[in-house]
Amino acid sequence: MGELLVDGGRCQGHARCWALAPETFEIDEEGYAHVIPGRENSGDEPNVRKAIRNCPERAILERETNEASEKASEVSAS
Amino acid sequence: MSTETERGLSHNKSDFDFHGRSLDNIFDEYQDILANGPVGHSNKYGGFWYITKSEDIFNAEQDPDTFAVGPSMLLPAFGTDVPLIPIDIDPPAHADFRKILLPMFTPMNISKLTPGMRETAQQLCQEVLTAGDVVDVSAKLARPMPTIIFSRLAGYPEQDWPIFDRWIDEIIYERTAHPETAYAAGRELNDYFDRLLDEREKAGPGADASNDLITQLLKAEVKGRKLTREELLSYCYLLFLAGLDTTAWAIRSALWYLAGNPQAQQQLREDPDLIPTAAEEFLRTLSPVQAMARTAKKDTVVRGQEIKAGERVVLVFGAGNRDPEVYEEPNDIKIDREDNRHLAFGGGIHRCLGSNLGRAEMVIAMEEFLKAVPHFERANDDEPWHGVGPLTLKIGA
Ligand code: SF4
Repeated sequence: MGELLVDGGRCQGHARCWALAPETFEIDEEGYAHVIPGRENSGDEPNVRKAIRNCPERAILERETNEASEKASEVSAS
Repeated sequence: MSTETERGLSHNKSDFDFHGRSLDNIFDEYQDILANGPVGHSNKYGGFWYITKSEDIFNAEQDPDTFAVGPSMLLPAFGTDVPLIPIDIDPPAHADFRKILLPMFTPMNISKLTPGMRETAQQLCQEVLTAGDVVDVSAKLARPMPTIIFSRLAGYPEQDWPIFDRWIDEIIYERTAHPETAYAAGRELNDYFDRLLDEREKAGPGADASNDLITQLLKAEVKGRKLTREELLSYCYLLFLAGLDTTAWAIRSALWYLAGNPQAQQQLREDPDLIPTAAEEFLRTLSPVQAMARTAKKDTVVRGQEIKAGERVVLVFGAGNRDPEVYEEPNDIKIDREDNRHLAFGGGIHRCLGSNLGRAEMVIAMEEFLKAVPHFERANDDEPWHGVGPLTLKIGA
């Protein structure tokens, strides 16, 4: 599991993440999503998995924290 | 035929269409296309390439430099040749126009409207109940609910609402068979907004403390300047058609399904918390927006098929939403389907601005209808799943 983040370049504000996992995602004034500070490690929770699988833009990423590489990779739907 | 041989298309549907009666059997058509030739060329509406795989549609939406929306996302046109803001506008101009209304459509702002939506839905459902045992719920709920809710949000005066349905019917539903009817209605709609904007401008800013969409548009600035009248008219025109018709279809199609599926109806009555999940499934399978057009900006290749710069391309969301590579048993409507990343609102920079509003209206309509109205069935099996025409239900059967 890595650190959760919403890729601002991809997020288009469908707000599915917020509908499915409001304890982890918040929506800003323009409608774009962000991970609530302190919730970056909630990626294993069932609601968050569901949000990841339902985001139409595939914008919810997990940044590898165990590697030196800061490469963000898309979480697979499985 | 020559096009097909030249292009080397083995399984091409040169008469593929996604409007009107073509929608009656379109799900079989999608299945066939997805299995046998997911990219092909149709000769309808001046000719277009259709793209049906979910992945290909997603990629096209993420690549507006190759798949532009200009001259229009609508094929055929919505009763006007003026590019509609923001859906027919490409980058870089697009972002500024879209930004104007984005804040009004956030889920937080939409949730402020939900008490009013619920009240409207309850009133309309009471009218359904008092109308007798056989009722057209399209006319009684699916159409008036979005009209009332969106008109209030937008700031369209209530005395004007009764004319709105005709404009929608003529512009959206007559455009394939009778384009001249659509264009005539389009001129009427444009004139209507021209007058409305005159009145609102005359009343001046301070006169109306409301925060409706028209006020926002009149106040809005793009690159440090106000919107021109042409831009205002284009934005109003688009909002009107997008805000009223699609949601009416979404509500109607959900009720159409539930009327034919007593088990699903019962399940939602017993477990109303499932309604938002069911709404996603109806949006996936019975969506009001089955397809939207693009224009190739440069030569490109999709799934081995060459598409030339300047050619029209249609992203068939309705087919992508039934792509067996993405969904298990894609043609089954499962109201508790949880993995449901669908294309009903499009994606990328042109994602439907009103998706949060549309979803809320659909969910509230279903909740209140199921609460108020006892068991219902279809009274006329000839009424199709699609469109905003009558949906006659037998109530309390
Ligand atoms: S679901 Fe995806 S696109 Fe939508 S707001 Fe959340 S992160 Fe952004």
